Amino acid sequence: MPIDAATSALNLSFPPTTSATGFVVPQSRSFTVSVNPVVLFSILDHYLRRQENQHRVIGTLLGVRSEDGSEVEVRNCFPVPHDETQNQVAVDMVYHQSMFELHKKVNAKEVIVGWYATGSNLNQWNALIQDFYSKEVSPPFQAIHLTMDTDLKNEEKLLGVKTYVSAPIGISAKPENCLFLPVPCDVKYFDAERSGLDLLASAKDQPDRSTSLISDMDNLEKTILVVQEMLERISEYVNKVLDGSVPANNKIGRFLMDTISVVPKIDKVEFEKMFNSHLQDLLMVVYLANMTRTQLAIAEKLQLLLFSETRKSDSNESKRDCDYVYGAWSIFHWPIFDDYSSEIMLYCEGHLKPTININH
Amino acid sequence: MTSNGSTTTKDGLSNVNVTAALDVEGNVPLESVQLDGLVVLKIIKHCREFFPSPVTGQLLGLDVNGILEVTNCFPFPGSKPDDENEIVDGARYQVDMMRCLRDVNVDHNTVGWYQSTYLGSFVTHKLIETQYNYQQTFNNKSVVIVHDVSRSTHGNLSLRAFRFTRAFMEAQKEGKFTTESLIKNKLTFSTIFEELPITIKNSHLVTALLHSLDDYEHVIPKASSLDKETVVGPLTPNFDTLELSLDPYIEKNLEFLLEAVEEHSQEQSNFAFWQRSVVREQAKMQATLQKRKQENSHRLASGQDPLPEEDIAKMFKFPPEPSRLDSLLITSQINNYCKQLNQYSGPTLGKLFMAGEFQK
Repeated sequence: MPIDAATSALNLSFPPTTSATGFVVPQSRSFTVSVNPVVLFSILDHYLRRQENQHRVIGTLLGVRSEDGSEVEVRNCFPVPHDETQNQVAVDMVYHQSMFELHKKVNAKEVIVGWYATGSNLNQWNALIQDFYSKEVSPPFQAIHLTMDTDLKNEEKLLGVKTYVSAPIGISAKPENCLFLPVPCDVKYFDAERSGLDLLASAKDQPDRSTSLISDMDNLEKTILVVQEMLERISEYVNKVLDGSVPANNKIGRFLMDTISVVPKIDKVEFEKMFNSHLQDLLMVVYLANMTRTQLAIAEKLQLLLFSETRKSDSNESKRDCDYVYGAWSIFHWPIFDDYSSEIMLYCEGHLKPTININH
Repeated sequence: MTSNGSTTTKDGLSNVNVTAALDVEGNVPLESVQLDGLVVLKIIKHCREFFPSPVTGQLLGLDVNGILEVTNCFPFPGSKPDDENEIVDGARYQVDMMRCLRDVNVDHNTVGWYQSTYLGSFVTHKLIETQYNYQQTFNNKSVVIVHDVSRSTHGNLSLRAFRFTRAFMEAQKEGKFTTESLIKNKLTFSTIFEELPITIKNSHLVTALLHSLDDYEHVIPKASSLDKETVVGPLTPNFDTLELSLDPYIEKNLEFLLEAVEEHSQEQSNFAFWQRSVVREQAKMQATLQKRKQENSHRLASGQDPLPEEDIAKMFKFPPEPSRLDSLLITSQINNYCKQLNQYSGPTLGKLFMAGEFQK
């Protein structure tokens, strides 16, 4: 809508922050927040465990900031008990302080970056609590307010996560006069957490919402099936384009070509050599590991046999004999492994092309 | 720390039904472990942040009908090397944390602890002691969950739950691991730990969250990016398992295996040394006994009293048997490494052949 003199639109900007040099600079960079999935899960867990009379729960967000304050990473959170009635709101500040101390002992890098609340509406209590947290967060940075819509009232948005920063509004700078400005947020995670998330996600399709851990092979199989399905979809699409039933799209075609040409073209002989040597290495490792395990299993069986024998004959003499046999057996067989151990060391250093040979 | 109390009422009949249904006494043996999604993510996050140093934390939850449900966890602060009050601090941290968590209705019942590990090398004395304490205090209802960070980055989450077998608990209670106690308890390296199956369960709200993370673009407002084609949400398919660089992991594993085998051979030589010394002592004792007998026969011939023979046994001190615990632990660790190598090589072979197919 056109902005002319008599308009009721308000022009709001992000509140000014002081840069490193200490000057008050209006914030021009984009301000982003990235959230770790742990935080989202903890908020939901806290909401599940709330007292009966509470409609929403609040807690503190911990995280790290980037140097200039434009990027905030929310890494952890803890709940804070609070009381909310028509007339007043009370937040247990002592609890907040002690929990923060405890968390700092584990991870000294995380600082308070804001607070969260469930329920998507923002009322005047939010402004007050926001003010309180702004004092906690070391100035000049702003406290982030994260809301999570647990009422599931939105039709298309299932569990909206929104982050806000507050801007003062009104004639006088009273704490409860502030406007919440939305800030873009992102869900970020690391590799190890990714596999955990995937596992949890596989539970969401089950009727009883549970899943169990799967072995590496099964996981590989699952991934390969996904890739296979993708390839089938693509080949179906390409066939349809060739038949003419679907209009060709240049962008998609180029994208597909780029993707497929990523497979490196290696000379056939070279590839055979590399493939075979790698295969040999792997097989040797498997052979050695299996042999070690067999040896341990044999020793164990022998031990159990001796145990049952010594139970029958209780004299000291036979027990000593059994000890001899047991000890002798164990010492006798390990030297065979020593030969292989030297080969393994050379393999690790990369000098030797290992060959599988059995020498007694 | 609360303990499982039992309710006693005068109305014995209905109480029996209730306790049978709820298993208040906790007499049903544990069969599996059920983790909440939140616990999985928290463990992963904590272990990853301090990788590669090992970290520990506490598990909270409840055991119901033979299934140990873990609903929350918190990390322990890392130990500083020269802190005299470490034990006191640690205990105080635990107490404070539990009290704070109780205020927000989190289950404050300890059910075990977790530890991070590097490449599966977790069978150490420290683990044994801690788990023994836990299992002793909580009446065999506590488990240790081991998370391997380096393995989880390869695409499949690695979480295992262990507890000690009864045989091992008995042996540990006595505190000595001589051959007799091993025989008595039928203890070999594979009967130290019992591995329990893990399932992961999500609450309804969390399931909703996971579904909405699938539909990533519409739920969480992000800073608009120019590159709209490649939207990577948290749950877009993960292809970490198809990573082809395989050698560093195998090399490291082999190195650890070699070290463990060397330690094992050291233990064996110790044991052999002890055996030889025992034999020597016994031979000496026999020799003196013979001499004594001869003397006695001479004395009898000349009419004097025979010298006693019993105090000869007291003259010779047999060196005590070295504890077999170390060799047990080392063999168990070796077994672990070999199993890991096997488990890792399986999918690796598959991936190798897959790469071969691409070349054709």
